[in-house]
Amino acid sequence: MRRLLGGATLLGLAAGLVMGFVVAPRESTQGNVQRIMYLHVPSVWVAYLAFGVVLVASIVYLIRRAEAADQLAHASAEVGVLFTGLTIATGSIWGKPTWGTWWTWDARLTSVSILFVMYLGYLLLRGMIDDRERGARFAAVLGIVAAFNIPLVHFSVYWWRTLHQPPSLMKPGPGTMPGIIVAALLVNFAAFTLLYVYFVAKRARLLRLEAEAEA
Amino acid sequence: MPDNWGFVIAAYGLAAIVLIAYWRFLFRREKELDDAKDVRHQLRQESSASEPRPAQSAQTTQRGPIP
Amino acid sequence: MVVVWKDLLVERRSKETLNALFFFGLLLLFVFQFALGPDRERLAGTLPGLLWLGFILSGLLGLGRTFVAERENDCLEGLLLAPGDKSAIYVGKLAGNLLLMLVIETILLVLFSFFFNLDIAGALPALSIVIALGTVALAAVGTLFAAMTAQVRARELLFPVLLLPVETPVLLATVKATEAVLLGEPLGSVAHWLKLLAAADVVYVAVGVLTFDFVLEA
Repeated sequence: MRRLLGGATLLGLAAGLVMGFVVAPRESTQGNVQRIMYLHVPSVWVAYLAFGVVLVASIVYLIRRAEAADQLAHASAEVGVLFTGLTIATGSIWGKPTWGTWWTWDARLTSVSILFVMYLGYLLLRGMIDDRERGARFAAVLGIVAAFNIPLVHFSVYWWRTLHQPPSLMKPGPGTMPGIIVAALLVNFAAFTLLYVYFVAKRARLLRLEAEAEA
Repeated sequence: MPDNWGFVIAAYGLAAIVLIAYWRFLFRREKELDDAKDVRHQLRQESSASEPRPAQSAQTTQRGPIP
Repeated sequence: MVVVWKDLLVERRSKETLNALFFFGLLLLFVFQFALGPDRERLAGTLPGLLWLGFILSGLLGLGRTFVAERENDCLEGLLLAPGDKSAIYVGKLAGNLLLMLVIETILLVLFSFFFNLDIAGALPALSIVIALGTVALAAVGTLFAAMTAQVRARELLFPVLLLPVETPVLLATVKATEAVLLGEPLGSVAHWLKLLAAADVVYVAVGVLTFDFVLEA
């Protein structure tokens, strides 16, 4: 089963690369640098997905005390932080030739950075509690607080700074991006989602094995 | 506008390095834990294979004084 | 029972904590002045930010100590084993913290207006609303996190590390709103920020009340 997932992931990633480099056209205003977006945007979507899963798993854990839910939350948070870091890095690399600077406090980079630190704190909390059960409980509470904070972060940062392109995919009405670019983004998003599932499944299994080893 | 392929390669390269590194971490750790698990199972099988005889003799001696 | 707790808290912590925090606020003022230089113009622009920096830093110290008394006197286990709804403890502690924070903030505000020659009389009612909304947000999450970190290694380090990222929206909102208020603009111009703060308050207190039981389990 996992082998199938792994294979599907690789296929997806390959498809994503093809879409990003071969099928998608050279963007008119930015040039080929825009292709970094096929990495940056799916990354951030997967990060949000990951943190959403953390929220659900945390709630499930607090209600049912299922270790599997706790392991899922932990794994998803870790992979989420990974993709968030990747979002920041790729965003920064894209920014240098485009805006002329490695860092800028625009809406997306700022809010993603706040997310990054929040969930890094989540992982830190887990690392600092020796008691497995207490760690799971506290992390679940933090996971819930952090998730509910995400919309607050979004709005506050967006109002604070509006340099960044508004999120065109979420706007109602006709999109501002040509269809082929949207298609490339979606294919890459699907590929990254597969990668996320693969990573989380493996990581959660590791956590379960570690728990068994301690018992 | 110049194409800045260098930056594109840098971004994709960084992503590849990070993701592959994480995958390798997962892979290696899984192997470690699976091996440790197999070793534990083996030990448990060995100890349970050698247990029944002393347990039986303990049971027979215990049943002695009661009836 | 909650009232007894609250009184105990306020009485025991008030003197030492208040004194220390007052002194800390004063020192912060000095530090801000020294770090940013004597140029009045430059300072004036940063004042709302400095004010809330002062509130948050004092808050980190004050809120972080919410359960210190319990920990030092080995009451923490008693708290964990107490039967019944632990959320009542949260509300009690939150109320105590709110009071503490508001006192500190008032002192800081007075010090600020004195040292930086601010005329806040006209802006006071609007400013109070902003400060009240922001403080609830700070105290709500702070009390919850204080309970968590009280039982953890490296608690003094973990508390700010957890609290600061979560509070960034509140920081953004309060500074922007304070800026507008100090410039004499009507509260309506920052209505969106106030609504954000109000939403944050509701969310944080609700989550605090609902999850506190899980934090104080034995």
